[in-house]
Amino acid sequence: MNGQDENIIEIRGIEKSFPGVKALKGVSFGVKRGTVHCIVGENGAGKSTFIKILTGAQPATRGEIKLGGKPFSPHHVSDAIHQGISCLYQELNIVDELTVEENISLGQEKHKFLFPQKADNLEKAGAILADFDSTVSLGDRVGSLSVAQKQIVEITRALVAECSVLVMDEPTAALSLGETTKIMQVIERLREAGMTIIFISHKLSEIFEIGDTVTVLRDGEMVGTQSLEGMSQPDLVRMMLGKVVAEEYIPSTGARDQAVLEARGVSTRKLKDVNFDLMKGEILGFYGLLGAGKTEVAEVLFGHEYRGEIKRDGRVLRFRTERDALRAGFALVPEERREEGIFGLLSVMRNIPLMNLKTVMRRGLVSGKAERDLADKYIDLLQIATSGRNHPVALLSGGNQQKVVIAKCLNRDADIILMDEPTRGVDIGAKQEIHNIIRDLANKGKSVIVFSSELQEITGLCDRMVLMYDGMVRETLRNGDELSTDYILEVVAGKEA
Amino acid sequence: MRFLHADPQKVVLIGILAALIVGLTFASPHFLSVTNFTNVLLKVAVIVIIASAANLLMVTGNFDLSVGSVLAFSGILHAYMSKHGVAIELSILITLIVAMGWGGLNALTVSVIGINPVIATVGTLFIARGFALLIARWDGGANIMLGLPRDFVDFGRDPVFGLIPLAIVVMVAAVGTFIFIEKKTALGRKAYAIGANLKSAKLSGINTVGIVSLLYVLVALFAGLSGVLQTSRVGLAAPTVGKGLEFDVIVAIILGGTSMLGGVGSTFGMLLGALVVGFTANGMVLLGIPFYFQTIAYGGILIGTLLLSRKFDAKAAA
Repeated sequence: MNGQDENIIEIRGIEKSFPGVKALKGVSFGVKRGTVHCIVGENGAGKSTFIKILTGAQPATRGEIKLGGKPFSPHHVSDAIHQGISCLYQELNIVDELTVEENISLGQEKHKFLFPQKADNLEKAGAILADFDSTVSLGDRVGSLSVAQKQIVEITRALVAECSVLVMDEPTAALSLGETTKIMQVIERLREAGMTIIFISHKLSEIFEIGDTVTVLRDGEMVGTQSLEGMSQPDLVRMMLGKVVAEEYIPSTGARDQAVLEARGVSTRKLKDVNFDLMKGEILGFYGLLGAGKTEVAEVLFGHEYRGEIKRDGRVLRFRTERDALRAGFALVPEERREEGIFGLLSVMRNIPLMNLKTVMRRGLVSGKAERDLADKYIDLLQIATSGRNHPVALLSGGNQQKVVIAKCLNRDADIILMDEPTRGVDIGAKQEIHNIIRDLANKGKSVIVFSSELQEITGLCDRMVLMYDGMVRETLRNGDELSTDYILEVVAGKEA
Repeated sequence: MRFLHADPQKVVLIGILAALIVGLTFASPHFLSVTNFTNVLLKVAVIVIIASAANLLMVTGNFDLSVGSVLAFSGILHAYMSKHGVAIELSILITLIVAMGWGGLNALTVSVIGINPVIATVGTLFIARGFALLIARWDGGANIMLGLPRDFVDFGRDPVFGLIPLAIVVMVAAVGTFIFIEKKTALGRKAYAIGANLKSAKLSGINTVGIVSLLYVLVALFAGLSGVLQTSRVGLAAPTVGKGLEFDVIVAIILGGTSMLGGVGSTFGMLLGALVVGFTANGMVLLGIPFYFQTIAYGGILIGTLLLSRKFDAKAAA
């Protein structure tokens, strides 16, 4: 092995356990010096945990990392930086109120009697900076720069610290197209200069544009490490999502021939001309990779601003807030259960009626009996495993918390129910139960929209599916025998329909 | 026993209260008397009346630091109008409406616009205090005392049924009202929901802005009412009264087990908290402990309650 080809990083059997969860289950791969090494995986694959271990933010439970042939086990982030691994986090790690110069020397100041001295390598910083973007100078206040320019400042800081490996966690997530191009050029230049880049992004086109090698993680396991040369986008998506075991699809029983919701030309910053219909008694699935625009569609249907037209039973809808959406007959099971769904401090009994307090009011007052009866009804109906209706929801398991959120939503008795990732973080048994609840709703004439990044959920549950890619609806398919998961994967990976 | 199981903090407070009463009964011959208890309750009443409303406000995760100033302003306004010929009943009515205006200002800044309650309500604290001083100045002096009509003080001093001071009756009514709101009304349920998770509350269709606004107005209303009661009883309106009252209110609320982050708390707990503070202060006076030690003890209680509150928050988060 000559010096050029040698692996700068060797990762062997990295495991990470959190109480009750194993986030990484043995990850091993090597990163070649002077390449752009991409890491991909869907939500919960273990990417962020892996980065945290690599950059010293968290220790690994087991396994070893070698950097340049020497064992590498950083105790904290500055440790990793000193040994040559710097990281650009998704959230910029930069102080708007300071100048570029101050930001670059931040944390690396040489001190004299407790007073920071100007870093002696400013000249070098200036040269690097000018090389990347001649419009940024050392004296500029960082707050006045664009996001891409701020990233360049961060990159410069990493280069001044003489790092040999730069980890970039979704660097383009907040960038416009022009800025993305610029950052891509910067990465290209860094590679030419011999720098090793570890690049994390969920935008597959970027992976193919810039990457040399890709490591795919799924559910904390390492699926494989491959050269990107000769690989196609659907190949990569297949690696990311794994074998899709089709759950048997049972069609909803209703006629499903009457549209309750029609969306025409719905656009936002992220969405481009989205069209779809929702039928009465139907389960409609929205499927796409992370960032394809599913969440944005859910947001639009729940009161976010949009251009275009949405009709409900033929009437044009205009709502400005969540409450308008609720009044128009929508109810939402939100994606972030803890942050947006449950009231953790409150008991199961207090949670359930909150979307529709009328159901526990008798003659204008809250009736304790009605409250208890309602809680018992839903605990029984949805099989919520709780030690009692007075148990705080925060102390329930993820699946049971989700059932409480669904109970709250069912109690609203809305005609259109939006479910954003209804079974994320829910164990298999509860998942099946939640799917049965959803199907039951549709059979009772309700219309359900399921937003999911799990193909299995979509193909096993939904009567029709809307496939999204990059903010657009690529295709709408009817579920049935001739459905090909391979074809679906190709569509959501960006193939023109 | 379910009660004991449900809320350890209340049990602790009841225990402390019982210990204080028993201990002070033995320690001081003046403690166990109708006069002394009436005095303690009168002192506590001002705090409890305001804290009844402020407790539910804190349950939503918000608080109001302007109550002391609104109390002073309302007392001055009521005295000024009464002295200048406005009928007592009408003067009280106008004062309460204006007091609600201060609450409206807090509601606007905190709930509608979204300014941090510390900053916004401290703003109101200064403005209301300034106007209180201004009205006193219009009257021609620092305080309004001379020239108040006879029935001005009658209102505050005539005991209800010839037996119980009005402030104590109002206190009991305020506590009762808010226990009722907390247990039996949609307003109560929604307040807890907002404090437990603001985002979930919004997505569940709860009018979070409206409810927090309403509570700010109610807190100001009760602060105004306290101002009227206090001025009438003392027969003197001073623009400088009620300084630091906002902290007395918050200490009572937190000691009673309400979390500053919202979602947890009860009116009854707040009442217990206020009584513990009231009897501790009374005991120290009776035992002849110098004033500065009382201040130190008060600070100790404040920090102690915050630590206690943190402990309970941590438990809830687990």
